[in-house]
Amino acid sequence: MRLLTHNYLQSNVKGTEKGYPLTIEPTKIEYEESPIDMEFVENILTKIDYSALLSARNQIEDRCHSDLGSDFIVPSLPEVMPKRYSDGNSKDDKIEEDETNQEAFLKSIHTILFDIHVLEGHLVCPDTGRRFNIKMGIPNMILHEDEI
Amino acid sequence: MSRPESTGHASIFYNEKEAKKYDSSSRMIGVQKEITERAIELLRLPAVSEKPSFILDVGCGSGLSGKVLEEHGHIWVGCDISRDMLNVANERMENKRMDVQRRHADSSKDHQMETHSDDDDDDNASSDEDEEDESSNMRNSASTGDLLHHDMGTGLPFRPATFDACISISALQWLCYSNSKSQIPKKRLTRFFSSLYQVLRRGGRAVLQFYPETAEQAVLISECAAKVGFAGGVVVDYPNSAKAKKHYLVLTFDKAYKAPQGLSDSSLMGKSHQVRVDKGNGLRSKDAKRSVRKKNRGKTKDWILQKKQTQRNKGRDVRPDTSYTGRKRRDKF
Repeated sequence: MRLLTHNYLQSNVKGTEKGYPLTIEPTKIEYEESPIDMEFVENILTKIDYSALLSARNQIEDRCHSDLGSDFIVPSLPEVMPKRYSDGNSKDDKIEEDETNQEAFLKSIHTILFDIHVLEGHLVCPDTGRRFNIKMGIPNMILHEDEI
Repeated sequence: MSRPESTGHASIFYNEKEAKKYDSSSRMIGVQKEITERAIELLRLPAVSEKPSFILDVGCGSGLSGKVLEEHGHIWVGCDISRDMLNVANERMENKRMDVQRRHADSSKDHQMETHSDDDDDDNASSDEDEEDESSNMRNSASTGDLLHHDMGTGLPFRPATFDACISISALQWLCYSNSKSQIPKKRLTRFFSSLYQVLRRGGRAVLQFYPETAEQAVLISECAAKVGFAGGVVVDYPNSAKAKKHYLVLTFDKAYKAPQGLSDSSLMGKSHQVRVDKGNGLRSKDAKRSVRKKNRGKTKDWILQKKQTQRNKGRDVRPDTSYTGRKRRDKF
């Protein structure tokens, strides 16, 4: 499960007020490098929930250190997304941002969204505490009879 | 045993053995690929070079349709109720990953050759080569898909306006069969469609190919979709062919949408005509050998002699060949 998918996952168990974002409790993580498409990452940025991404990143950080070795560093992300991405179409706006900073930011986003896979672990609903387990990279979101 | 849906729950029918069989049948792969391509065509997505889309694949099974989505350059999330099918999909993505890694390892040694072969592989007439290279990179990379183990009849576990589009290949009809007392088809269908309405972003579209057992089923499905607020219609391809007939439920938010005309292959009609009219010679392409042997539904002398020889070779007791062998008898009928 990529963090990109996690950013959209929500628990819709009956009676849940807000089953988003799900807390990740990873027990096994894998890293898979993939080629970066800068434009695509920029597009995606306008649609993801940044705060959820931040908390997800923090939740997987420890596991990354133990599973991927100490030389692997989970890229850090600023507390607030750079302004040019938080609005819808502000590409033409002020280009004061440093080009290299921008590129570094996009690269970090790409790594975190696409390249880190949670293979085993749990997703926990922040509202009800309901746990969904992840096996072989596939989260099990099947609801019980009484949760539909 | 005509329809898998009547044998039981999808996760029971698509067990490990069935899942492997499904994924290894070349005919199945071919058919599913065609259907997926047609569904993508009906989606009318913006060009991938402009903006790859985030697509939901409902009932993704062993990832056959996901693979086609990837080849088009999209990012997808698939969900299915059968763990075994998802495991097969995982395996396929694993293999692709390993292939890609091997390829990267080889090509990094010989960079020059790679740029040449890249140009050959991309036979798109695009003036901007750089863009083409980049998107082909995404395509050649490991899978851009993610899998979810989930029952679509209980709603979709995503936050609102997540996806640009949704496809479903040969899965929707499973909602029409109830596998336990608590499962009511109409309720499950409504639940599915109302959550689909929420997770699609406005302006998005869904194309769901399904196999209705009866006309009532097709109507039930369309009605449930309309009730939750979708506009759209059912596109039927090849309506006159029992085998090739395919139903695509196209759903949009745009009330002014008009469903396009389904495909109908007139040559398909022509061929079936031919087979019926010239029974004797029409099967030429299919069975050339047989038409040589057969002569006006009878058996030629050559064939008889050949047959007798093979029987002799087997060691059977055969009458000797004489001038009477295979002679034309008086027409008794």
